[in-house]
Amino acid sequence: MSLVARDITKRFGGLTALSQVSLELNPGEVHGLIGPNGSGKTTLLNLMSGYYRPDAGKIELDLTDISTATVQRRAALGIARTFQKPRLLPTLSVLDNAMLGGWRDARAGFLSTAFCLPRVRIDERLLRSRAEELLHGVGLSHAIGRRANLLEHAEQRFLEIARGLAQRPRFILLDEPAGGLTPAEIEHLGAVIGVMRAEGVGVLLVEHHTDFVFRISDRVTTLDVGTMIKHGTPDEVRRDPDVIRVYLGA
Amino acid sequence: MKLPNRTFALFIVTAALATLPWWAGDLYKLHLAALICAYWVLIGGLNLVVGYSGQLSIGHVGLLAIGAYCFAILAGTHDVHPAFAIAASGALCALCGLLLGLPSLRLPGFYFAMATLAFALIVTEITLAQGNLTGGGVGLSVPGFPPPFDTPRGSYWLILTLAALVTWLSWNVARHTWGRALVAVRDSAVTAQAVGVPVFRAKLTVFVFSGFTAGVAGALFAVLQSYITPDTFVFDLGLFFFVCIIIGGRGHILGPAVGTIVLTALPEMVAPLAKLGNFFYGLLLLAVVLLVPEGIGRVFELLLQRLRPRRESHVVKPDLDRLAKAIEHGRSAR
Repeated sequence: MSLVARDITKRFGGLTALSQVSLELNPGEVHGLIGPNGSGKTTLLNLMSGYYRPDAGKIELDLTDISTATVQRRAALGIARTFQKPRLLPTLSVLDNAMLGGWRDARAGFLSTAFCLPRVRIDERLLRSRAEELLHGVGLSHAIGRRANLLEHAEQRFLEIARGLAQRPRFILLDEPAGGLTPAEIEHLGAVIGVMRAEGVGVLLVEHHTDFVFRISDRVTTLDVGTMIKHGTPDEVRRDPDVIRVYLGA
Repeated sequence: MKLPNRTFALFIVTAALATLPWWAGDLYKLHLAALICAYWVLIGGLNLVVGYSGQLSIGHVGLLAIGAYCFAILAGTHDVHPAFAIAASGALCALCGLLLGLPSLRLPGFYFAMATLAFALIVTEITLAQGNLTGGGVGLSVPGFPPPFDTPRGSYWLILTLAALVTWLSWNVARHTWGRALVAVRDSAVTAQAVGVPVFRAKLTVFVFSGFTAGVAGALFAVLQSYITPDTFVFDLGLFFFVCIIIGGRGHILGPAVGTIVLTALPEMVAPLAKLGNFFYGLLLLAVVLLVPEGIGRVFELLLQRLRPRRESHVVKPDLDRLAKAIEHGRSAR
């Protein structure tokens, strides 16, 4: 029962962005994915969430090949993600942004919505209460009614996480969630990720902050120019000579 | 804003609009009010396409023309009951919306706008060419509504009711999950995909809906004109619908409604503006785009915000127990 990238190769024109990379993400696990700029971390995340198709290899969910499934299909299967640069709807409220995550739980079609049938109100109440709880949970109680374009950077990051969790995901892929956060906010982020893990959500953590990754991950995969150089527990990876060479340039 | 205020405001506006025939003064103003309502039937639907899902259709005048001719031909030439003729106009234009949207809604913004422009031009040519059906350049006379809607007051009330209905429908769509999904399609298709919104299908659905309302609007418009020719449906009219929404503000309903009223009524009521014609529209559009790019609707919002206390806190403080419960609750619902 896991989300697996198996021997993935991805080329952009003549450039090989990823070459034979594998990664397994289990429920209730934090899996760190680190590497220097341009090492292919985000490319791998885009392949797992469905924005790219692999040139070779497969993406599997519970042993089923989902390499050709659309992004929407994968969202329905329980894969959520956040973006390196938060992608929110600036003119909507924080609450509406979080409720957007509940799209696939809203069963009312267009016409039922237009005529505001009872079903629509039931959906709406359910999505609202879930989004509110999540927003309080990730620490945005103070901003629930605010327009999203008035949020500061850290708030935007946490709002994206709340939106992802509103999808009720089995796996959530976080693309550099600590980017631009203060040390105190990174602490909060770590605690939030800890709760996701405890609740059985599989977390893929693509990050630059290696200290942070080593501290909260169960396993870590390291990429360098599109190939995997080390995979293992944080301690194993931290001590690996290749990883040290890549990061310290020695 | 408190709820009673809102209900009160809604009541006042409804009462004012319903009693308009008694205080409007003359029949011409009543006709103008009915015309605004007929325009709004189209613009209210188009608003979901342009204002919410962000698809820049400038060719809805083509759908208006199809609706108008459909009504004139069915109710006039073939003596179909006007109620059925109106419904048929809506249905035909919904179908046209589907056929136009299927290939063109996959195009990026600019090219989609060009496709709708081409559609409007083609419709004009067809109405000219199919003389035995549409009367060609000579045009068609359009029958009125049946009693009790055959008086100026009666037809105003009928059109007002339909305009109110379209407002209600589009408001329901806008304020629920569908509205958020449409805004996501407009502002970030990548986000829309990530949460599972079928982007193309969402665009197509509202486009077909806007086709239906455009068809109904065409029928109402035809009755108000009482005689239609291909010249009735100049391309400027399509641009006018589009501009009403842009001036009113994307992602609002009240704003575009005000935009429709102002842009239709002002040039008629204020004689000096009538002389300016398109110059007036151009000037207003320029002023809005430069000064309040988010439109009149946003100005209302900002004014309302002024009345509220400002909250400045930006501190993120997670409540981990609550988060755990929320995630667990979501999972058990799966």
